[in-house]
Amino acid sequence: MIRKLTLAAAMSLAAFAVAAQEPRQGGTLRFTAPYGSSFASLDVHSTNRIQDDIWSKALHRTLYNWDSAANEPVPELIEEVTVADDGVTYTMKLRQDAYFHHGRQMTADDVIFTFTRIMDGAQAYPPARHVRLIEGAVAVERGEAEEISGLRKIDDFTIEMVLVDRLDPGFSFYHGNTSIYPADMAEIPNFDTAPVGLGPYRFVEYIPGSRLVGERWEQFYKEGKPYTDRIEILIMGEAAARDVAFRNGEIDVSVLGPVQYVAYQNEAALADNLLEVAEIFTRNMGMNPNFEPFSDPRVRQAINHAINSDLIIERLVRNKAFRATSWLPIGSPAYDDDLEPYAFDQDRARELLAEAGYPDGFSFEWTATANESWGIAIVEAVLPMLAQVGIEVNIVPVEGAVLSEVVRAGDFQAYIWSNTSGPDPLQTLKCYHSSTPQSACNYVQYNNPEFDALLDAAGATADTDERIDLLKQANRMLYDDAVVWFFNYNKAVMAYQPWVHGIQPNATELAIQYYEDIWIDETSPAAN
Amino acid sequence: MGLRVNLWLGGVLFVAVVIAGVFAPWLAHTDPVLDANLMNAELPPGEEFWFGTDAQGRDIYSRVLYGARISLTVGIVSQLINTVIGVALGVSAGYWGGWWDDFVNGLTNMMLAIPSLIFALAIMAILSPGITSLLIALGLTNWSYTCRLSRASTLSLKSQGYVQAAKILGYGDARIMFTQILPNILGPIIVIGTLGMGGAVLAEAALSFLGLGIRPPYPSWGSMLSDARDQITTAPWISIFPGLAIFITVLALNLLGDGLRDILDPQSKARTA
Amino acid sequence: MLSYIIRRLLQTIPILLAVALLIFVMFSVIPGTFASSMGDDGRGLLDAEVIERMNREFGLDDPVHIRFAKYVWQLVQFDLGHSFRSRQPVSQVIYERMWPSLQLSFAAMLFAIVVGVPLGFVAAMKPGSIIDMGSMVLAVSGLSLPKFWLGLLLMYLFALHLGWLPSFGYGDGGLRHLILPAVALGVSPLALLARTTRAAVLDIMNADFVRTARSKGMSEARVIRWHLTRNAMVIVLTTVGLQFGSVIGQAVVVEKLFAWPGLGSLLVDSVSLRDIPVVQGCILAIVLFFLVVNLLVDVLCAIIDPRIKYT
Repeated sequence: MIRKLTLAAAMSLAAFAVAAQEPRQGGTLRFTAPYGSSFASLDVHSTNRIQDDIWSKALHRTLYNWDSAANEPVPELIEEVTVADDGVTYTMKLRQDAYFHHGRQMTADDVIFTFTRIMDGAQAYPPARHVRLIEGAVAVERGEAEEISGLRKIDDFTIEMVLVDRLDPGFSFYHGNTSIYPADMAEIPNFDTAPVGLGPYRFVEYIPGSRLVGERWEQFYKEGKPYTDRIEILIMGEAAARDVAFRNGEIDVSVLGPVQYVAYQNEAALADNLLEVAEIFTRNMGMNPNFEPFSDPRVRQAINHAINSDLIIERLVRNKAFRATSWLPIGSPAYDDDLEPYAFDQDRARELLAEAGYPDGFSFEWTATANESWGIAIVEAVLPMLAQVGIEVNIVPVEGAVLSEVVRAGDFQAYIWSNTSGPDPLQTLKCYHSSTPQSACNYVQYNNPEFDALLDAAGATADTDERIDLLKQANRMLYDDAVVWFFNYNKAVMAYQPWVHGIQPNATELAIQYYEDIWIDETSPAAN
Repeated sequence: MGLRVNLWLGGVLFVAVVIAGVFAPWLAHTDPVLDANLMNAELPPGEEFWFGTDAQGRDIYSRVLYGARISLTVGIVSQLINTVIGVALGVSAGYWGGWWDDFVNGLTNMMLAIPSLIFALAIMAILSPGITSLLIALGLTNWSYTCRLSRASTLSLKSQGYVQAAKILGYGDARIMFTQILPNILGPIIVIGTLGMGGAVLAEAALSFLGLGIRPPYPSWGSMLSDARDQITTAPWISIFPGLAIFITVLALNLLGDGLRDILDPQSKARTA
Repeated sequence: MLSYIIRRLLQTIPILLAVALLIFVMFSVIPGTFASSMGDDGRGLLDAEVIERMNREFGLDDPVHIRFAKYVWQLVQFDLGHSFRSRQPVSQVIYERMWPSLQLSFAAMLFAIVVGVPLGFVAAMKPGSIIDMGSMVLAVSGLSLPKFWLGLLLMYLFALHLGWLPSFGYGDGGLRHLILPAVALGVSPLALLARTTRAAVLDIMNADFVRTARSKGMSEARVIRWHLTRNAMVIVLTTVGLQFGSVIGQAVVVEKLFAWPGLGSLLVDSVSLRDIPVVQGCILAIVLFFLVVNLLVDVLCAIIDPRIKYT
């Protein structure tokens, strides 16, 4: 009771503070990294996990940032970008007030060094995927060239970047694993254990498996930022334990699962400090067309009709998701407002099954992981619903690493997964282009010439409205063909303590924050 | 004298669990897998659902009953495998000696040095989660004590008169091992097996927590408990009942093992004297 | 004595080699690869080309016998290889996690010994009494709870409701953060130690030499002090040594729950990410630790009880 009272008191104080106070300087931000029990390494180029993006945002900086308010990438280390008429030649003026933690000013050489390093084919760095957008990068990766031909230094603070495609480079270069490294990293002692970057915090300490600590970088290029003196990024993979720690005031933020979402909503002291975001992830069941029944779109439609998705979202996912209509999620610029989700209609499902030649149903194997929001727990709830239309499900439980492997190899009948469906709608829908291999992201081997034509047209046009319109049509085609079971779009929820201010509703991944904008008021136990 | 209480209490509890498992289809109110109705999700214990319902709206009472089948199967079968391996290796090594003995000894020392939970974890990752994998994982990783014990007992029995007599009578090695040696070392081995069954039930829960246990639709106590760990405060009954089931079963097996030890293990006879 | 220790140390080599062989074989057939684990977050940010390059870089596309030859060649040079994900030497990765792991397992063992052994002694002094029954049932109850469940309950009680201790993490490596995980981990060796101690004490009390001592008119206190303690210590120590194995095993669960940065959580993480060199290194380190602890136990026993022969 006393705890609740103090929390409530703190909250009203905080609310007051928002209205009347300038952001407060000082204190320690105690952030959590919830995806697993470790960081991959302190070389962010060698990873593509969200878990590592979380610490990289403290120590490092990328050419672009994700602007959560505008929901698009914005230049960060770049002061000014101009695009030539060809649509692929970018001239980028770098900011001249960015300093690495060892005191040296960032120049064009550092950017070129970084991208060249990432393309070292012998190292197989995951962000090579992003840098391949630059012309000549692939040649470096294959060892055919030393330098990326499409990346040229004009002067110390200007680079010219030629792309292979008419794509906004911002969508590639906001990812944490494209962070800019100092070109002289080889001369910096212990770079691999004490990294040097451009970020708002300087590396202080790393206890593998436990936490990473940084302190304010005085020469950070944003005036008066970061606000807090220190940052601790605490690795906490276990949700039940995170819940205790958060309630105990030991951590400042916590990413919530469905169960805790409901619990926190029902507690006055916690309910006001929840940040909810429609994330660009689409939860779905992919169906393998090489498995006879699933080659018929009517069967896939029947499945969409047979499952009471709304009920599952309401009762099991506890409204921590938005019902999916088609593939593109609510945050997407090409999201289709007019589309109605597949209705729960088991009679219609039976009809469709009968038309497709399965009046008595069939049985299939459903590969799923232990994930609570898009794994076996969901399958268990779907299982009786499909049984009602005569479809029998056998669950094939796997680990994440295996799911990712069998799906890419086409070694499944059906799977349930959460896949990214943004931020760029064109790139997202390209996954269903027939030229995209299954091993990339056309996991269900969708092949529809009309769909391909729409996407090609969307890629060729320079008119934004026309492009969006074409993409909407393509998205609708995925809906009509019931390319997957459209389950839901994730609603990410982060609980933050009442003394925390400035958390950003990042739709690409809520756990990724730009820490320099966060401040804590004096009610925090770590305020000093 | 008081120690007999162990045996009785353990025995009665264990028999109760066995009955629950064997008669689950008759005792249960609903199907543990298919009777999931989300409209009934997370109801507290009451008249219709004695133990309440879980997140998918399934009757926890029925699931706990069916869970007894899985947990007992896991406990019994995995311990049978362990015992057969341990006894076969131990007795033969003790009886034949020579290079075979050295080999078995080395193997046992190696198995002893790898913590069985870690070994089981590795096997589960390789075979993918599921009940067969679990039986293999727990059945192959916990035989070293049985093996050591069988070997030591066999060594001491080998020199005894009646074994020597059987040899002179021309009995085959296998026959001697089965008829002369095995019956005399069975007591302590049953004790180890009983205690090991409790360990297997706990190991299943631990593996579930690590994401590598039995996966549904089979309701295993371990996975029920582990899946409900987020709901300890919001819907405690979802975890309390499977947790209680595990606790009671393991407790029963431990008490039973202790009780049996007092009767069957000749070396500790002194204690009851 | 010294030659005995050296001989025992030499004996660990074939065991370690056998373990190395076993885990190599096991993990060469594990489904999923490190590269595929990087794609499990559904962000589709990993393309086939990178996967292929990774597998080539890590030597995963070599035939098994080549991989094995490389692995053995590395091992002979005391090289455990490089971690797939951190790209650092495995020995360094393990070294970083070693200290928290040692802290936790020794603390858990200490807790088990300090509580368990006296409990067993007290129980054995009055066999069949209420105290005996009560302490044994208590011990067995501790043994019968799943570790993660017990840990969660401790967390709720001592961190959330009472606010005495931090609920998770390593902190500055001090005692406050250590207590809860150590207790959760120490409960089952505690129960076993209590039982073993009780049985050992009872056995020895009934043994001939104690009876002789008694009949010679030694006072009860002296009998206990002189014979009992020494003989029971040996049995208890041996149990401690063997229990270290299961403590390190159970640490996997406890470390994951309490976000404790030891070898156990590293191992679980590395298995699910398929960082095989780290998995192999962890298991070898754990096995080595177990063997060394047991060697120490044997040496200690020999010091306490000179009648024990080195074999």
